[in-house]
Amino acid sequence: MSKKVFEVKDLSFTYQKHGIKAVNAISFDIVEGEIFGLLGPSGAGKSTTQKILTRLLKNYQGNIQYMGKDFSQYGNDFYEDIGVGFELPVHFSKLSGMENMRFFQNLYESKADIEALMKRVGLFEDKDRLVGEYSKGMKMRLNFVRAMLNNPKFLFLDEVTNGLDPKNAKIIKDLIREFKEGGGTVLLSTHLMNDVEELCDRVAFISKGEIREIATPKALKMKYGKRELRVEYKDQEQVKLEVFDLDTISKNDTFLTLVKNNAIQTMHSGETTMDDIFIRVTGDTFHEDA
Amino acid sequence: MKTLKGLLRGEFQRLIKYNIIQVSFGVSVLWLLILFLVGKEEAGVFLPLVVFMDLTMMSVLLMGVSLFYERQENTLKTLMVTPAPMWGIAVSKIIASIYLAFQSVVVVVGVAYFAFDIAFRLLPFLAFVLIIALAHGILGFVLSLFSKDFNGLLALIMAYMIVFAFPSIFYALGLMSESIEPLLLLSPTHVSLLMINYGFDQSIETFELIYGMLYLIIASLVLWKYLILPLYPIKGVKE
Ligand SMILES: Nc1ncnc2c1ncn2[C@@H]1O[C@H](COP(=O)(O)OP(=O)(O)OP(=O)(O)O)[C@@H](O)[C@H]1O
Ligand SMILES: [Mg+2]
Repeated sequence: MSKKVFEVKDLSFTYQKHGIKAVNAISFDIVEGEIFGLLGPSGAGKSTTQKILTRLLKNYQGNIQYMGKDFSQYGNDFYEDIGVGFELPVHFSKLSGMENMRFFQNLYESKADIEALMKRVGLFEDKDRLVGEYSKGMKMRLNFVRAMLNNPKFLFLDEVTNGLDPKNAKIIKDLIREFKEGGGTVLLSTHLMNDVEELCDRVAFISKGEIREIATPKALKMKYGKRELRVEYKDQEQVKLEVFDLDTISKNDTFLTLVKNNAIQTMHSGETTMDDIFIRVTGDTFHEDA
Repeated sequence: MKTLKGLLRGEFQRLIKYNIIQVSFGVSVLWLLILFLVGKEEAGVFLPLVVFMDLTMMSVLLMGVSLFYERQENTLKTLMVTPAPMWGIAVSKIIASIYLAFQSVVVVVGVAYFAFDIAFRLLPFLAFVLIIALAHGILGFVLSLFSKDFNGLLALIMAYMIVFAFPSIFYALGLMSESIEPLLLLSPTHVSLLMINYGFDQSIETFELIYGMLYLIIASLVLWKYLILPLYPIKGVKE
């Protein structure tokens, strides 16, 4: 069994301002070398959990251990270990992308190769432009570079693919995967099932501040995915749709003759959408208002 | 120590990129313009008042601007997830503010010294400038933490100036009776004015100078320890 990087027990947090209990007695472990996903709808408490684990929020209840030691035993050296990618990128808008990165990197002992990172995320050409002139996607990519500036052992990523086009989202996802392959551990929050499937080794479902389920993405799909196959086919110049049960499909004569005699247009196995799983896990509807 | 150097370097880089140094320099030029307008005879009377306004009001204001940008862009949040200690982040801001005060005083007093041949006591003057700039940079820090936006900060600065600075200025210009002098000693701005006047070769009681220095230093330490250190991480970030 691998080493536990984070051990979180009965963690609760209430925002003083409105008395909102954002996180309610959650417990989970994050194991070295894994990508652990926090999946949940808007307002579920994902960012709050990230902020507690990055020590931006202090007055929590419960117990947090990092590398086998209580959180309170760490000073600022904790930050040498970690990289944090925020939900909303924050940089100095009147400094260039490169000036921003240089400034933040100067605060660390360990230093990654900024130029290589900027090249990887496609920002090298724009490195000398003011961040205030960057597009949202460019800021998100710079946000990721900033999280990697100190060669962290642990990455906190809060919806880091938000606002990225598919090409750039893929670059970031590849970098996250490479980070993991190099021995890093990741806590990733998202509300995109896709991200979870592509990246996460395990995922915690969080809703209304509570964890409803912790499992591998595959297990979740098996458990909640519809075991069905939807076939669109041509029948005398008309497109028709037929749905089959996956478990009995090999003995289904209608399906077999259909495949043999008709031109198939599309075939899809039951896609497990965030909505579906959410309704089943929590009984909630999922509002994607981000 | 290395972190502190990085923070300081960043702070000065931002003073330039956010045009704060330029604004401060522009204000110095404006002060000089006023001095040249009032002419050689009166300049000697006005110079201490100009230095006084610069070290008190401008220090508070420029610190406010720097913190205003920081809060607007929420960059403190990013700094808080680096190994940089909170106190280091605050200290580098205060050092930058003291630098601005010195820059302005050197420009204004330097030019005035050669243009109007003004007498001053160099070493005490420099020491007092340091203490006054420190105290008012810290004051600007605290006022910023307690204001919601830039307008709020301006209102607080105005209120502060009306209560503490204007009486001293009226007094210095002979518009107020001698009897309120003891009361004025309760004002940090007034003791600043006394210290500046001493720097410009006026005779001020020694006890007033010592009292003034102690007052400003102790007030700075108290504000630092009980307001800035605990409140900066909370009030310095949005959300
Ligand atoms: N600074 C704050 N003050 C008061 N309440 C807050 C604050 N930040 C978040 N909350 C509340 O805490 C709850 C959880 O918010 P959180 O930001 O953790 O959700 P999330 O899962 O990250 O959502 P999203 O997907 O929209 O980012 C919400 O009800 C939110 O309104
Ligand atoms: Mg969030």
